[in-house]
Amino acid sequence: MQILEKTELKALKKARNLGPKKTISLLNKKGLTGRGGASFPTGKKWEFALKQKSKEKYVICNADEGEPGTFKDKFIMQKNPETLIEGILIASETIGAKQAYIYLRGEYENLKSKLEKTITKVIRKAKTKVNIEIILGAGAYVCGEETAIIKSIEGFRGQPYLKPPYPPVEGLYGKPTVINNVETLTAAAHAILLDNWNSLLRLFCISGDVTKPGVYELPAGIKLSEAMKLAKPKNPVKSVYFGCFGGCMPYKDIELTHDNICGEDCVSGSCTMIVVDNTRSIVDLAYVISKFFAYESCGKCTPCREGSVRILLLIKKIRQGKATAQDLNLLQELGEHIGQTSLCGLGQSCTNHILTSLKHFRKDFEKELR
Amino acid sequence: MKISLNNKNIEVDPGKSLLEICRENNINIPTLCYQEGLKPGGRCRVCLVEVDGKLVTSCTEKPKENSKIITNSEKVLKARKMNIELIMAGHITTCSIDKDAHDLCGMLEEIGLTGIRFEPIRKYKEDLGSSVVRNDNKCINCGRCIRTCAEIQAVYAIDFASRGYNEHVAPYCEHNLADVACIKCGQCILHCPVGAIHEREHLHEVMEVLKNKKKHVIVQTAPSIRAALGEEFGLEPGTLVTGKMVAALRKCGFDKVFDVNLGADMTIMEEASEFIKRFENGGPFPMITTCCPGWILMMEHFYPDLIKNNNMSTCKSPHEMLGMLTKSYYAKKANIDPKDIIVVSIMPCTAKKFESTRPELETGVDYVLTTREAAKLIRFNKIDFKNIKDENFDPALGIATGAGAIFGATGGVMEAALRTAYEFGNQKTLEKVEFNEIRGMDGIKEGTVKVKGKTIKFAVAHGGANNRKLLENKDKYHFIEMMACPGGCIGGGGQPPHISKDILKKRIKAIYKEESNMEFKKSHENPIVRKIYKEYLDHPLSEKAEKFLHTKYTKRSQF
Repeated sequence: MQILEKTELKALKKARNLGPKKTISLLNKKGLTGRGGASFPTGKKWEFALKQKSKEKYVICNADEGEPGTFKDKFIMQKNPETLIEGILIASETIGAKQAYIYLRGEYENLKSKLEKTITKVIRKAKTKVNIEIILGAGAYVCGEETAIIKSIEGFRGQPYLKPPYPPVEGLYGKPTVINNVETLTAAAHAILLDNWNSLLRLFCISGDVTKPGVYELPAGIKLSEAMKLAKPKNPVKSVYFGCFGGCMPYKDIELTHDNICGEDCVSGSCTMIVVDNTRSIVDLAYVISKFFAYESCGKCTPCREGSVRILLLIKKIRQGKATAQDLNLLQELGEHIGQTSLCGLGQSCTNHILTSLKHFRKDFEKELR
Repeated sequence: MKISLNNKNIEVDPGKSLLEICRENNINIPTLCYQEGLKPGGRCRVCLVEVDGKLVTSCTEKPKENSKIITNSEKVLKARKMNIELIMAGHITTCSIDKDAHDLCGMLEEIGLTGIRFEPIRKYKEDLGSSVVRNDNKCINCGRCIRTCAEIQAVYAIDFASRGYNEHVAPYCEHNLADVACIKCGQCILHCPVGAIHEREHLHEVMEVLKNKKKHVIVQTAPSIRAALGEEFGLEPGTLVTGKMVAALRKCGFDKVFDVNLGADMTIMEEASEFIKRFENGGPFPMITTCCPGWILMMEHFYPDLIKNNNMSTCKSPHEMLGMLTKSYYAKKANIDPKDIIVVSIMPCTAKKFESTRPELETGVDYVLTTREAAKLIRFNKIDFKNIKDENFDPALGIATGAGAIFGATGGVMEAALRTAYEFGNQKTLEKVEFNEIRGMDGIKEGTVKVKGKTIKFAVAHGGANNRKLLENKDKYHFIEMMACPGGCIGGGGQPPHISKDILKKRIKAIYKEESNMEFKKSHENPIVRKIYKEYLDHPLSEKAEKFLHTKYTKRSQF
């Protein structure tokens, strides 16, 4: 696997020799984009922060991998932490930050001590002035959102705030801050060092009703059927969920690219696929996912706070066989409303799964009406 | 910058938010979490507008060149209505819909919400504080109380706890408000759009006492009530209603109506004497005023060193002084057993409610009503407040000077104290009584005055955040006035809600108008004050005065 290749500080050395500007243009040329979900060009992000004139700058490694069905960052931190830390050092030295943070998901506490040891080791070898500190999250899904991470590290409630200003301009403690995902930072080290680096390779997390769940490194654009051949589902596949917030797609042999997935009203996010076979009811899935979002809403804005719990209660009613067609319409209306009027990405996408499953599997819901 | 607003091309200031722009163009946008002077939160999402087809909150959005903004499309109205419906589903069951009192219930008709399709789910206990009561079942999580407490008052007594639909406002570690470092200023009450926070009412106890024929019930009104009470009855902000207020209270059944302004004059006599004493002894400086119980709590919680270093004046607040005098001096003169006297204070303040329960004060005041409660009492008695004929305060303890009157506005205590201290210290008449440098709405004001050839530096701060700021350089000054609420007492937590800077300015203007009508402008010229000292207290800071008019303070926890 490309992502597991050890760069052994050669990438850092190369970046030091190139200097910040050339490092960034190299990344731009290689086409590295963010792997957290938004696919923003990494070089550009670093360039924004580099341009800011500030004595203090920060790099944050987003290791708050909270999306259900996603476990690729954990995989990297377990198998190749050295390269990740090298990537953090490259980012810090490139933009001129002396302090970097790894915002580690609360549930990954068991990774902390090993990571800390690796940090000490790598920093000693690299002879760098950059300091890396691990900050443990407290178990909030929304803290994977970059502005919520900033608030959380600053010691406030982990709630998102409105952009702009974007973090590379004004981020942690009001200073320019680069926030990158674990996979992105690791890939940055590879992109700089390896001549034959393949920008198309992604880590796919496949789970659900398959016999071989796990992390697969596959090129973006691979056909869904090819991926399924590897993961080996037990029964015929009914639909695929692109994480909880990505929405559900009835099984269709499409090429897995960002645009194709969006074409199916879904969000590709971080290449997460939860496979659902034909033994399951979509209503049950809607219930579980709604429960997740009602619990994980941060509570800041009305539609997400009040709306997500109303969706949960409506689906509960449907499962109990007490709901009417009116309730189903209300569910649809709420789903659209929350998506349109919420403040952050969580709220805006927390009803994707409802809207897509109502579109494709409305019959599953109608069956359970009164 | 040019934008199109509801299909009309207009030129706008790019620094303003869309909400401000709409309001300037007379387009009404409903809001719940927006508050003038605070950072916009974007929480309630009721102020939605359409910008180039996308729904955004107008309070947080700045205009973009050539963007097309629509404030009344079907999409906008539908989204607003749904958000209000979601909010109301949590709020409605515990709300006695009072259209004028709450922003939320007042906007239902306009929004067109008739039915709610969701069941109520909130189940919280009421948080009963000694001054402030919170009901989380009515709360709609707009966060205005939290932002007011943090940004304006710098007290940080409350914040959000839990997440998702369990998110609610809570004091530190979910304690009761009474048990945490809350200064009880009540500013959160003024800004709550749904009435989820209110004062601990003493109204019903007072109504019981008024029915009791054996009790001699005396009411005393603070300087700032007369400048704000009218608003509760639909009069313009800044209307002086001194005469109407006295007449209405008498009609409510109070036996005597006294003026706390006299207590203010007494406070000045003691405070100015104390200052001159310190001046002659060379310290300790700065001496800080103690009329404001909110500030006193802030000091006890966060700056207890001021007690240790004797920076605090020991004077009780004016209404406590007057209460003590009523129960001793007046009781003796009128030949009434002090046990049968009930003193009710009408105050612009919720912290005064707590103050009246302080054990060290051996309190002279039995009940404290806020301006809002006083208005309720007048309404219960079906008094036509607007048309009632003016009456005067009872003369026994009801004649005051202009110095006492200006206590209601920020800088007033300092100005009144300086007038007396100047004459006490210099033994000559102060010709120009106005200290204009400490009037007005600036957060921190300062000035100097010469006493016995030496320069006295004084400063005035109002609003908790400004108090903290001033304390950072307190050693520069000899004399400091602190008020916990913005604007001083006229902006107190017990005043009529819907406060804006504009309304505060109008109320202040009314206070100074009241002063200009007064015959005497200096506290020590007040004939009743002179009489009280002659007949009862001997002189300021005498043993008797120390006993009745001075107090001590307690260090409290920071949390």
